[in-house]
Amino acid sequence: MPLLCLFKKLIKLMINSSLILFVAFTPLVGAIILFFIPNEKIRLIRSIAFTTSLITFLFSLLLWLEFDYSTAKFQFVNNVNWLPFSNINFYIGVDGISIFFIILTTFLIPVCILVGWSTVKNYLKQYLIAFLVLETLMIFVFCTLDLLLFYLFFESVLIPMFLIIGIWGSRERKIRAAYQFFLYTLFGSVFMLLAILFIYFQTGTTDLQILYTTEFTVQRQIILWLAFFASFAVKVPMVPVHIWLPEAHVEAPTAGSVILAGILLKLGSYGFLRFSIPIFPEATLYFTPLIYTMSVIAIIYTSLTTLSQIDLKKIIAYSSVAHMNFVTIGLFSLNIQGIEGSLLLMLSHGLVSSALFLCVGALYDRHKTRLIQYYGGCVQTMPLFSLFFLIFTLGNLSLPGTSSFVGEFLILVGSFQSNTMITTLAATGMVLGAAYSLWLYNRVIFGPFKPNFINRFSDLNRREVMMFLPFIIGIFWIGIYPEIFLRVMHISVSALIQHGNY
Amino acid sequence: MNLSFIDLFENDLKGVFPEIFLITGTIILLVYGVIYTTERRVLSKRNIATPILIRNISWLGLYSLVLSFLLTINTPFLNGVIFYNSLVLDNFTYYLKLIIFIATFSTILFSIDYLREEKLNSFEYIILILFSTCSILLMVSSYDLIALYLAIEFQSLSFYVIAASKRNSEFSTEAGLKYFLLGAFSSGILLFGCSMIYGFTGVTNLEELAKILTSLPEAPWITETGLFIGILFLAVGFLFKLTAAPFHMWAPDVYEGSPTSVTAFFSLAPKIAILGALSRVFFYSFYDLILPWQKIFIVCSIASMILGALAAVFQKKIKRLLAYSSIGHVGYMLIGLSCGTIEGVQALFLYLIIYIAMTINIFSLLLALQKIGRGGKERRLKYIADLRGLAHTNPILALTLTAVLFSIAGIPPLAGFFGKFYLFFTALSASLYLLAVIGVVTSVISCFYYIRLVKIMYFEKINTWPLWGSIKRENSLLLAITFFFILFLGIYPSPFFLVTHQMALALSF
Repeated sequence: MPLLCLFKKLIKLMINSSLILFVAFTPLVGAIILFFIPNEKIRLIRSIAFTTSLITFLFSLLLWLEFDYSTAKFQFVNNVNWLPFSNINFYIGVDGISIFFIILTTFLIPVCILVGWSTVKNYLKQYLIAFLVLETLMIFVFCTLDLLLFYLFFESVLIPMFLIIGIWGSRERKIRAAYQFFLYTLFGSVFMLLAILFIYFQTGTTDLQILYTTEFTVQRQIILWLAFFASFAVKVPMVPVHIWLPEAHVEAPTAGSVILAGILLKLGSYGFLRFSIPIFPEATLYFTPLIYTMSVIAIIYTSLTTLSQIDLKKIIAYSSVAHMNFVTIGLFSLNIQGIEGSLLLMLSHGLVSSALFLCVGALYDRHKTRLIQYYGGCVQTMPLFSLFFLIFTLGNLSLPGTSSFVGEFLILVGSFQSNTMITTLAATGMVLGAAYSLWLYNRVIFGPFKPNFINRFSDLNRREVMMFLPFIIGIFWIGIYPEIFLRVMHISVSALIQHGNY
Repeated sequence: MNLSFIDLFENDLKGVFPEIFLITGTIILLVYGVIYTTERRVLSKRNIATPILIRNISWLGLYSLVLSFLLTINTPFLNGVIFYNSLVLDNFTYYLKLIIFIATFSTILFSIDYLREEKLNSFEYIILILFSTCSILLMVSSYDLIALYLAIEFQSLSFYVIAASKRNSEFSTEAGLKYFLLGAFSSGILLFGCSMIYGFTGVTNLEELAKILTSLPEAPWITETGLFIGILFLAVGFLFKLTAAPFHMWAPDVYEGSPTSVTAFFSLAPKIAILGALSRVFFYSFYDLILPWQKIFIVCSIASMILGALAAVFQKKIKRLLAYSSIGHVGYMLIGLSCGTIEGVQALFLYLIIYIAMTINIFSLLLALQKIGRGGKERRLKYIADLRGLAHTNPILALTLTAVLFSIAGIPPLAGFFGKFYLFFTALSASLYLLAVIGVVTSVISCFYYIRLVKIMYFEKINTWPLWGSIKRENSLLLAITFFFILFLGIYPSPFFLVTHQMALALSF
């Protein structure tokens, strides 16, 4: 008993000081340790990386446990003076909006490491280091409370991701994909940098909590909102600037796709929610029709595009675009249901889409092709895989009971209050989603078996099953009992809405 | 009363003690070198040898640089105007001198092995670098147009010689000739500007100029006359020396033609000195005439950024690419000057420090990296495509180069980002929105060719595994130090912000 007390005290101490720093820096420490281990010790390298990522995940769960959801304040706050003569501080903290993104990040990284367990043959150490560094950067993106630091981490994610796509991608086209990913994102975000600098010049601070209480004139808000939009729209992705996404997804290695779909797409919508909506309320109202229109076009267009794709990964990539545009509709409906639905759909998409990419990765590892015409009849050779794939496909088409349903339902409820027309159009996305998901499943799993093309049979191994199980648990948990997630978000989201007087 | 010469200049001489030490040391090295390299040593009846002292003199030169660096740190006085108001000492010159020492020190350090392997056996090369370092030090602290011009000429003369130091190479001689012609031309323009200013104001001292020109905007009769022409010519002369865009013609050829160690020196030391002198003259003396000269720098800055971004995309040779990239960087730095604010100057020198670190890194890699071809023949990097496969055979080196390239491109969290972010911030706060927008757009475009190098190193398939020579200890040391600087500046940037802030403040008084 005294031992337990001591343990509790230790945890309390850690929380008071810096639990969030533990979460953020553990992967970095792991990456630094990996640097000093020779390349040949593959087992050691793998186990160190995996252990570090698991420890990070546990720390982030602790974050959730200790989270006080009766307040909208930022918790676990840390503030370090960073630049002299300026109000740019290294300021981090977590609230109900960002906490699940951090948990999602820490949840997906061990999976990424498991994915590359035996399939990554060359430069395994560098691969693991890249992912661990990426994890630190992404956690920081979600917990910084300073605009400039947000930009800093938002951009620095590009470097490891560029290398991951380029080095461990599968085909020659990967170079083009890496370039597109890099330049699209960079081009969008430099305008955000200008906007941040402008805000800093106007208000003398980049501290988010102070900016929440600052008011800009409407014209300025509109310009600044557009500058932020240029960056976030590329990341979300909205429809004219979504071209990089299918390319990057198709060419990235499986773990890269998991991170891209799971986390990096969320950076854009998180940015909308954290920055555009509360800081520029008038501009947000002004541009809501634009967002609605672009999102609806994206939902319908990409869902239809999905039907004509022949690459497995591209289909899932386009379906991600559709889901993320559901998210933006929910965000800009500017009421509690819509925003909470978006947050849930982001979480759910982080699980479902990542899991689908893992499924495609499993197929690709076995048969070295992603073209759909070579597949068929997998149910006869891979029954276990078919089961998992079915669950994730159903999750993707937002079947009631899965997490996506809760998200999309709340989004539609939310947007129905602001614009029925948009809701009606967006709801067609659910039908189309069902169409492409089921058709994809049908073509891969059922139908005639094509032994001319696919002639090495192996069902999922234990590692892969273990990898998929947490996803299934997550999907059903959110789908059946979403209250536990909504409860944490509730106060923060309503504070955000109250703050903007929406 | 016996008032001797020494008494009169007692404190003045203390003020220039580092320069005096360096010049004396260099002369002693020159004498030593001349005597020992022309001494015939009879080894046997048939072997009569004269020693090659390049390595020896390099190390001695490094020691003398270190000693003058220490002298500069322990200077007896930080502030003062000496030698009949022709030289000035303040925080600005102090820190710039330290940066210059670091830049020169690393230039000599990372080219020692290069010089030996390329058989550039004339020790005068090092002597000339030391002499030009002296002139650069004087240039930074000059407080009079005449002193400034003399220092610039001293430096340029040394540079003309070392640009053509590889006499058996056609490129090098051509580069030397081009550099000489355009350098002399630009010096002429600069001198004409000085004489116009002198003719219309009657003074050459920068402080007196500042006093005369303080209320000038209220007296437009002077601005309309030759003073403006003088300022224009002065600016053009400086921009020539800085390789800013409309006056950049010589830079790519000279950068490519001269030996790589010389290119490294050209892209490091003169940039510091000329930017220092430029900001002293324009920011301090001509401050009230900011409206006319600001336009010149804005135009040059825009032109340099665009040229640096677009022209480098099509380069195949690595040194030409670096030349255009340095033109682009000059464009970014001119943003800081065009602002005409303290933050602008601070941003300029912050960027300069980071630029120096990145350039030292790239050149110490470029000078040391050798591809071992068939039959063990070593070949230096000439084309960008030569980097192919570096990541496979030398991963740490590739990682270093990648970090530096991303930093040059201005991707956070590397050092280059902080320089650019602060420059753009000052541009916005000085309401130069166009400059900021063009700056960010060109930095995205220039990303394209920086990450192309990363692509060549990492992504391209290789048929034959290239073999690389090992990197020498001196170079790897410099590589490591600058790599850590670039990687971790973001964690604790305060000292650099404070130092550059002090520099900018010293300049504005």
